[in-house]
Amino acid sequence: MLLEARNLHIGYGDATAIWDVSLDVDAGEIVSVIGPNGAGKTTLINAMAGLLRCRKGELRFDGTDMTSVRAHGYCGHGIALVPEGRRLFAKMSVEENLELGCYLAAARVHRQQSLDRVYGLFPILREKRNQPAGELSGGQQQMVAIGRALMARPRIVLFDEPSLGLAPTIVDDMFDIIARVRQDGAAVLLVEQNVLKALDVADRAYVLEQGRIVSTGLPADLLQQPHIREAYLGV
Amino acid sequence: MPSGTLLGQALISGVLAGGMYGLLALGLSLSWGLLRLVNLSHFALAFLAAYLTYELGTTYHVAPWWAAAMVVPVMLMIGLAQHWLFDRFKVNELASLLITFSFAVILEVAIQLYWTADYRRFETHYSTMSIKVGAFYIPVLELALCMVAGVLAWGTWLWLRKTYVGKALRAAAEDADIAAAYGVDHKKLAYLLSGMGAAYAAIAGTFIALIATLAPAQIWAWLGVVFAVVIIGRLGNPLGALLAGMLIGASESIAMAIFAPAWAPVVSFSVLIAILLWDPEWL
Repeated sequence: MLLEARNLHIGYGDATAIWDVSLDVDAGEIVSVIGPNGAGKTTLINAMAGLLRCRKGELRFDGTDMTSVRAHGYCGHGIALVPEGRRLFAKMSVEENLELGCYLAAARVHRQQSLDRVYGLFPILREKRNQPAGELSGGQQQMVAIGRALMARPRIVLFDEPSLGLAPTIVDDMFDIIARVRQDGAAVLLVEQNVLKALDVADRAYVLEQGRIVSTGLPADLLQQPHIREAYLGV
Repeated sequence: MPSGTLLGQALISGVLAGGMYGLLALGLSLSWGLLRLVNLSHFALAFLAAYLTYELGTTYHVAPWWAAAMVVPVMLMIGLAQHWLFDRFKVNELASLLITFSFAVILEVAIQLYWTADYRRFETHYSTMSIKVGAFYIPVLELALCMVAGVLAWGTWLWLRKTYVGKALRAAAEDADIAAAYGVDHKKLAYLLSGMGAAYAAIAGTFIALIATLAPAQIWAWLGVVFAVVIIGRLGNPLGALLAGMLIGASESIAMAIFAPAWAPVVSFSVLIAILLWDPEWL
């Protein structure tokens, strides 16, 4: 297994937001975590990216225990985050945002090659490369956020609500890109409220409700479960 | 209305004097803009460096540039030690203001205990040297100060813009968590920047020793105007700090020539308020 979470408990201050969650992502896999607003999806993915400490449980990446690694050490292991709300460095240019993705020495030596790849995926970013990232449209900002993650040459990309606040046609593009990321060799962990899209692109999926995994399986099987159909698809 | 020559000379003197505002603002602007630490002890460190330069020069007859070479590493260490405290106690923006205010008071008292409250003047033959260009006189020390400030401001600006470390510092100033997610060890870079700020204070201090009359209470003399300069120049922008320093210096000097010297302090804050009201895009 590439990413292994075992019985994770994660929280803020006195409050626990994630209870006893176990989750795996294998190399080359796309795994989706679906669930309603406030279920703890962002908390979970931020912990996987090293931004939050786990209270209890194990988090292993390619065999390495990640719970003792400091936040800035996660990227070097091959984990890259596309955060909720994109969180670009708004005052810096598009290209500088991308360059931050290859800040670490191992990725930096491939800077030009990685930039060409990102500009190949998103030609509009090459045109806008000297503009402050904060001036771009929502869809273009999402492209920068994804590009920044790809610049790190990750082994897994963590996507947090990539479709949030985007126009439907752009949402389709984003999911195409997620599939492309896997084709290029990285695994994907995706948390999404857009259940149909998230299940469509995934190999496997987990359902997270109130901080607990309530169901897991193949997307086709999950779509057959009455609870999923009722709660998420309204049928 | 004063003559054109007088105004021209006032403009030149003002711009050159503004170089000192800019040099002092440099370190302050970097730590405030990029680390969210408002370092009031910056002025006290500069004056400590000035007194050390004075002491080395008058007691041991050390030339100012050698004094600077000795004082800069000392201030660098003090800057790092101070940052260790910020780091150890997770000091935030407001707390840093209060804590460095107390550091500054402590340093002021220490300076007064050792050097007494008497005015001290480091006389060198540089202080009277000037170059005559047309009808105008350009004092050599102030010119050297402006050149050093220019090199530091330009170099720092390029460093922040062109290097990965500089970009990482700017990114971490916007979103430290996400910068960390891409491998930026902000803690380590913050030490680097704090050390640089203290070294800049030391360089400013060397020039203060050569140009100004030293007294312990003088550490507060430039506080207001340099704060205005830091804000007009935009937080974290070294070139902006220097240009704003020269702008304020020139406005003060021209106001003094046209009205009266007492008007000078009014000018920096009038310019600050005017620019804040104007709210131009670059601010």
